[in-house]
Amino acid sequence: MKKIYFATASLAALLATGAAQADKLDDIIASGTLRCAVVLDFPPMGSRDADNNPVGFDVDYCNDLAAALGVTPEYVETPFPDRIPALVSGRADVGVASTSDTLERAKTIGFSIPYFAFTNVVLTREGAGVDNFEGMSGHVVGSVAGTFEGIKLEENIKAWGAGEFRPYQSQADVFLALSQGQIDATVVTSTVASAIVASGQYEGLKIAGDAPYPIDYVSLISLREEQGLINYLNLFVNQQVRSGRYQELYDKWVGGTAPGLTIDGVYR
Amino acid sequence: MFNYTFHWHQALRALPDMLWGALVTIEVAVLSMVLGIAFAVLLAVARMSANRLAYGAATTWIEVARNTPALFQIYMAHFGLGSFGIHLSPWWALLAGITFNNAGYLAETFRGALRAIPPTQTRAARSLGMGPLRAFWSVVMPQMFRISFPPMTNQMVWAILMTSLGLTVGLATDLAGVTQELNVRTFRTFEFFALAAVLYYLIAKAVMLGARLIAWRLFRY
Amino acid sequence: MFDTALTLKDLIFLAKGAGITLAITAVAVLFGTLLGTIFGAFKAQASALAAAPLTFVLDVLRSVPLLIQLILANAFQSIAGFGWSPFTVACVMLSLYTSAYCAEIVRGGIEAVPAVTRRAARSLGMTWAQDMANVTLPMALRVALPGWIGLTLGVMKDTALVLWLGIIELLRSSQILVTRLQEPLFILMITGAIYFLISFPIARMGGRLEARWREND
Repeated sequence: MKKIYFATASLAALLATGAAQADKLDDIIASGTLRCAVVLDFPPMGSRDADNNPVGFDVDYCNDLAAALGVTPEYVETPFPDRIPALVSGRADVGVASTSDTLERAKTIGFSIPYFAFTNVVLTREGAGVDNFEGMSGHVVGSVAGTFEGIKLEENIKAWGAGEFRPYQSQADVFLALSQGQIDATVVTSTVASAIVASGQYEGLKIAGDAPYPIDYVSLISLREEQGLINYLNLFVNQQVRSGRYQELYDKWVGGTAPGLTIDGVYR
Repeated sequence: MFNYTFHWHQALRALPDMLWGALVTIEVAVLSMVLGIAFAVLLAVARMSANRLAYGAATTWIEVARNTPALFQIYMAHFGLGSFGIHLSPWWALLAGITFNNAGYLAETFRGALRAIPPTQTRAARSLGMGPLRAFWSVVMPQMFRISFPPMTNQMVWAILMTSLGLTVGLATDLAGVTQELNVRTFRTFEFFALAAVLYYLIAKAVMLGARLIAWRLFRY
Repeated sequence: MFDTALTLKDLIFLAKGAGITLAITAVAVLFGTLLGTIFGAFKAQASALAAAPLTFVLDVLRSVPLLIQLILANAFQSIAGFGWSPFTVACVMLSLYTSAYCAEIVRGGIEAVPAVTRRAARSLGMTWAQDMANVTLPMALRVALPGWIGLTLGVMKDTALVLWLGIIELLRSSQILVTRLQEPLFILMITGAIYFLISFPIARMGGRLEARWREND
């Protein structure tokens, strides 16, 4: 596949002397493969089944995108802190990885319009002594380094002036640390928290109320300069909602009414 | 060729934070070395003893430390011990992991050095009226350290390099942890880690220089 | 003894990870040794001044944590637009890293051959190449081999760090299983045992070899 890709790319480069350069969108179609960066310790968005194969909302979303492009999907597993490096280093073409569209990140990568929206809740362990969001003050808490909720939680701990924040390098390590009692609580998206509690995989975990954070809109990501691809992604997200596929996937992986993806009073 | 704009000023602005991180790195490395040496002496002696239990325990420690990755050992110290309900904070887990590793390697170094010291010296010391501990402490051990000093210096550099693994167990205060924190916020990976590499290089050089001074003061090499 | 959800499939998954670990080790040790031998021979022959640039680069490779070297190499290849796979980045960086240590071992080996021996060889009419091939290298090899075995095992253990680049080697496979099965202690112990089983016999063999050769000296 790689060889074909290079051959095609160099041929295209030869033919295109003087004409516009082939962009990422052309490359993906020419290579016949869409490499999606996905996070696989974040059920129901992404996880592994009993055969250790990737499954989840994001994995299906990647499949849909590949089908729309007429290419084969390929999954590149990335822990949260590695999503953007994976894109920048060219290991993946598109990130379908619940990436919050922060302005800091937009300096480095390009965002599509939001394809999902999360609210955050406090996830804790029975007997840890955390009953609500404010109850985390004075406790050891943790989250994934550099994520939307991780950065917010670290700020909270600093503002409270009591407790300790630990940044882990993957979501799995955070849940493991929480279930072992290394940390007493974390803030995590509500869908993931419910899925984790319902799975019964980790004993004694429970949700202790909402975290008062703004709605966390997440987008597909690509390289900042790939406007052609980002344009395509925008339309794709729009079509997923329009065709009802968004709700269908939501029913399959989460259940209930899928969250709205628009904000009142402002254009994206 | 480079379709990338370097943002060096952003990295340089973070230099004070990274220097504080370097201090934590040095702190953990030095402590792990001091503790590692203490455990290594015990392990080396235990490994040469006739007591089966002491021999077995020391051999297990040494072989596991030398035959599994340091990253694995540190991960075990945090999440492995966590399964038993023993909760080491990231800082302690890192210190425990590196100490375990240092002790394993240094014990073998010390054992080699002990073999090189003629047993007649101990006998001579004992016949001068010294007790066995005193003979070991004042006669054998100084020579052991003298012989093993170069490998000990290497191990110290290794300890510095190993501290970078703390970020896999949630440590954010050492040099690698601070750098990764900056990286995941800004994604200026190359700039921040290049700066970190320079700092690690300087620390390693400082260790080598310090070791040479100590060797010159103590052993008159 | 253990009540576990670990299946045969999962063990195969771990074995595949161990295969990746061994593959990267093999590539890194092969190229690292080739490069290291050239670098080491050069350092043993050339003047300190001529070797200074090389000495500096090798010194940096030995003074910066491998994890940070890997992250930097990966970031650099993306900036430069090489389009390398993580596997390639890991192999290239680990080869260079190995060569830095191997160069020291080779240099130590060559310098351990007494100058008079080499002069004797040359005075018997041997050319420089004959002296190297028939006298110096065989003698240097004996000095260098135990160190080289230690280096190989060190590299095998250091490959655990390539999980940072997203390569699913042994340690990363075990983390994936831990995430799914939530039996951290049991799975980590199996992983440790696999590393141990690869490393320990070779380490023992190296130790024996060293001891036997020491007796003959």
